[in-house]
Amino acid sequence: MAAKPKIAVYWTGGCGGCDVSFLELGVALLDVLAQIEIVFWPALVDTKRADVESFAPRSIAATLVNGTLRTEENVEMVHLLREKSQLVVAFGACAYQGGVPGLANLASREDILHRMSTNGFHPTPPPGGEREDAPPELLPQAKSLADEIAVDYVVPGCPPMPPLIGLLFDALLSGDLPAPSHVFAHDKALCEECPRTREDRVLSKVVRPHELIPDPKVCLLDQGMICMGPVIRGGCGAACPKAGMPCTGCVGPTPNAGDPGLAMISALGSLVRAGEEGPGAFAAEDKLLDALVDPLGTFYKYSLPAYVRTGRRSNR
Amino acid sequence: MAEAPFEPKIVAFLCRWCAGAGADLAGTSRIAYPSNAVPIRVNCSGRVEPEWVMEAFRSGADGVLIGGCHPGDCHYVSGNYKTRRRVYLLRKVLAEMGIEPERVRLEWVSATEGAKYARVMKEFVAELKKLGPLSLERKEKEPTAAPVLPRVGS
Ligand code: SF4
Ligand code: SF4
Ligand code: FES
Repeated sequence: MAAKPKIAVYWTGGCGGCDVSFLELGVALLDVLAQIEIVFWPALVDTKRADVESFAPRSIAATLVNGTLRTEENVEMVHLLREKSQLVVAFGACAYQGGVPGLANLASREDILHRMSTNGFHPTPPPGGEREDAPPELLPQAKSLADEIAVDYVVPGCPPMPPLIGLLFDALLSGDLPAPSHVFAHDKALCEECPRTREDRVLSKVVRPHELIPDPKVCLLDQGMICMGPVIRGGCGAACPKAGMPCTGCVGPTPNAGDPGLAMISALGSLVRAGEEGPGAFAAEDKLLDALVDPLGTFYKYSLPAYVRTGRRSNR
Repeated sequence: MAEAPFEPKIVAFLCRWCAGAGADLAGTSRIAYPSNAVPIRVNCSGRVEPEWVMEAFRSGADGVLIGGCHPGDCHYVSGNYKTRRRVYLLRKVLAEMGIEPERVRLEWVSATEGAKYARVMKEFVAELKKLGPLSLERKEKEPTAAPVLPRVGS
């Protein structure tokens, strides 16, 4: 029997949800586990950095990294894992585009540390110098995985949904690998798999989810909720719209949409109406758009580090 | 040697029917105005994607002017209304990013308003000179201009 592929799973600045998401495979997880050898997975098995250091280069078949890169230690670890792995997979929204923790980039590192220390979260170095177990240094900005190392594949989602995780393991275990940079989700927009019907194709009010119990059949955008469905990849089965919540974009934008925030600005610019268009409606249209609280945080909830930071062109 | 004074770079997306024709008229009428803008002719201001504005910034522009027809005059009926709403939202997002929203300017210029085009350009250049060069690169050690997190206990 051929040797089982060696798999590693690592977490950086994440919430732990990605590690737990594997359980959602249900009994299929047993099949997967029977066919792989887990060589490193801090959330699950007692394995340490020293173990990884002892591995031969490229001896791990695939490493699945979840979490935002937030500390210097995160960066060291992913470089180490890259060297030891044939394939590296960005697993989940944080590793893919920075994720929710990436919103921290709206504040400076100093502001964040100040906030942490004044709340007593951050241990100050004791007299006599740094403690050996002092927390690793915080990076100036949170980064996505691809900001540091080459990423072969992406399993998106916050956390990734079982069907998408299934696609990854199907590919890894069959050896039938997709082209580099493949994102295990659909290329078409979420709206295409959403069961809600689009009617007006205009947005005549903006409401936040807690302000409305939406009609169960009608498109949420038509009802005034800022749903990212038009610019986000399908693949999750429209989980949120089915449950009456607007899509906040965790699977990431379609290849067509590109930058999700700019694509949403473009879409909303077309959809907003406050009565008949023209100078008489300008003030009311602006007021309507003002009801969209924190557009930046809404549009880039999972992707701020990937799109908003530097002059770097982002093609992801 | 004294440093050359800052000359802002501007990308101007001008619709061909009104603002573009207005800019041409400013030229043919020999109205003097600053030459800081690279004009890009588009069919309608409604064609200008927010992505293009950001691309202009990433490519080194300090300001972006979008010129369209006056309300009611757009040759595609409502392209300029779409643009107005997009610019309104884009400017809010830019402000949240820490980019001065004044760097994106929307103006209605008709084909007969060569003088207005020249005035807009003069004003915009003056405003951008005050703002200084755009830096998309966030300085690492510098706290954000307006800290997003309220300082606890201060
Ligand atoms: S609810 Fe959202 S995902 Fe569904 S059709 Fe409307 S915009 Fe698209
Ligand atoms: S609907 Fe949107 S936010 Fe919800 S799971 Fe799907 S992609 Fe993620
Ligand atoms: S044609 Fe000039 S703005 Fe539409």
